[in-house]
Amino acid sequence: MDLNVQQNNKGPIIEFAGVSKTYNSGTHALADVNIRISKGEFVFVVGSSGAGKSTFMKLIMREEKANSGQIKVNGFDLTKMPRKQIPMLRRTMGIVFQDFRLIPNMNVFDNVAFAMRVVGKPSRIIRKEVSKALSMVGLGHKARSMPNQLSGGEQQRVGLARALVNSPDLIIADEPTGNVDPNMSYEIVSLLSAINAKGTTILMVTHDHNLVRDFKHRVIMLDGGRIVADNAGGFEQ
Amino acid sequence: MRLGSAKYLFGEGVKNVWVNRLMTIASVGVLTACMVLIGLALLISFNVDKALGNLEQQNVVMVYFNDKNSVLYGDSAPILAEGETFDAKNITDSQFLVHNKEEALSIVNEIKGMDNVADATYVSKEEALESVKKTMLEGKEQYFEFLDEDGGNPLSDGARVKLSDMATFNETVEKIKAVSGVSTVQSQGELADVINSIKSGVGMAGVWIVLILLVISLVIVSNTIRVTMYNRKLEISIMKAVGATDGFIRVPFVVEGVAIGIISAIFAETLVYFCYRIATDTIMGSLGTSTIVSFSSKALLLLGVFVAIGVFAGVFGSIVMISKYLKKEGSEFSAI
Ligand SMILES: Nc1ncnc2c1ncn2[C@@H]1O[C@H](COP(=O)(O)OP(=O)(O)OP(=O)(O)O)[C@@H](O)[C@H]1O
Ligand SMILES: [Mg+2]
Repeated sequence: MDLNVQQNNKGPIIEFAGVSKTYNSGTHALADVNIRISKGEFVFVVGSSGAGKSTFMKLIMREEKANSGQIKVNGFDLTKMPRKQIPMLRRTMGIVFQDFRLIPNMNVFDNVAFAMRVVGKPSRIIRKEVSKALSMVGLGHKARSMPNQLSGGEQQRVGLARALVNSPDLIIADEPTGNVDPNMSYEIVSLLSAINAKGTTILMVTHDHNLVRDFKHRVIMLDGGRIVADNAGGFEQ
Repeated sequence: MRLGSAKYLFGEGVKNVWVNRLMTIASVGVLTACMVLIGLALLISFNVDKALGNLEQQNVVMVYFNDKNSVLYGDSAPILAEGETFDAKNITDSQFLVHNKEEALSIVNEIKGMDNVADATYVSKEEALESVKKTMLEGKEQYFEFLDEDGGNPLSDGARVKLSDMATFNETVEKIKAVSGVSTVQSQGELADVINSIKSGVGMAGVWIVLILLVISLVIVSNTIRVTMYNRKLEISIMKAVGATDGFIRVPFVVEGVAIGIISAIFAETLVYFCYRIATDTIMGSLGTSTIVSFSSKALLLLGVFVAIGVFAGVFGSIVMISKYLKKEGSEFSAI
């Protein structure tokens, strides 16, 4: 535990204090979660199906609201924040989807540019930043391709470029490697690690034990809505 | 908002119209139909108004004064002092109010100054007799020569009063009756009542038709927008995830709604023009009336009404739908 503090002496970017989430259906998805993630960390979130991993991520991006406790993300107090503030919170984070969510009738460039256009960035900056993000994920040469001309791994790298392009402080990814083959999974986590090395905080849900073992990042394990393990340097096997 | 974003949002809205063209055609069709009905209802009511206006212009009331003749021939009761009895052969000046032309003219002026009176002109009993002779006794003058003898004219001095508004016809007549020196008022109150009830009937029917059609228009547009929204779920989820504001997400849908509204307005104007031309040609051909309201005099007004309806339905229809959708938490992250 102390390792964490030692490893990251920067301020917190995510703080959960006594957070519980019960869905309207009555399911207790999270119970009394206390966690602190510092700026610049890379965190794997693991746990069996139904453990509450996606719920944890949705609370961070304020797609769901906690029933009790306090959540702070990037300086926003999510439990007190009005709905109108949600877009401002989201602009500080990049989101990677398991199902890629590329718009099929837009080429790679436009898919990435979309994330900038809809928050009103000027086109001069869009051109520059999109090219940068695409070369960062190694797809500079595929800018004019359509999504259906790409492999699953390439599509997810486009998704990664889109999450990156607005230079977020935090990237959250719920099973980003869930739909790609193992080799590609390594490539994607390597990319995320490279992005992390430049200072961006990464939060990634995964079921893939190999990834968690090979990339030595902090691991938070959920079970039945509670945090049951939190190891700074990967799995203690 | 930046010019770039504005162009982007507008372009997206127009694109929606095309991508969604089957739905667009359907809703433009229904919206146009609603507008055409509203337009025709308006044109009918303009024509009713005009026809009634012609009737109204003929609406003149005759006012007779309380003069010697009015007492003598029984239109007014004599004004009697206590203990005095009425003797038709010896009527005194104090038994009636209007004794000469000056007094008559001052009453005419008083009436002229009343609200809702367009004009009032003095009519002497001699003039009144002339017009009675002209209209009622034509060809039989020889039987009525006694009327020209001194004291043979039984009519009273009076005034011809023209009213401006039918709606307050009866109240005005009552006010004129209350003027000191007025004996009787001859009016066609029933005509006023009929005109007023036709007017308010047409008005009420018009209001209901317009309201119902407006609701239909709103429903149509919002359903079209719902289809677009469904088609663009993916884009909306990404927009929400990257922090686009609700206002921004809404714009293309509002543009789409307004575009549908304006296209419909243009179709409606054209259709109403042709419908009205066919209708008026037929009516004029068979009735030979020339008192029909011309389309060109109302063309701009109608276009304005159609565009207003189109924009209203477009803006509200889309905002209602999209706001309902955006309020729903979720769908950004989970599978769509
Ligand atoms: N929108 C919802 N409404 C009601 N119950 C929900 C909802 N979302 C999740 N749950 C329930 O909450 C619990 C936690 O779900 P969550 O999606 O967080 O699990 P998870 O750890 O992401 O699982 P998985 O590995 O299968 O993705 C589950 O029991 C799930 O059925
Ligand atoms: Mg999940």
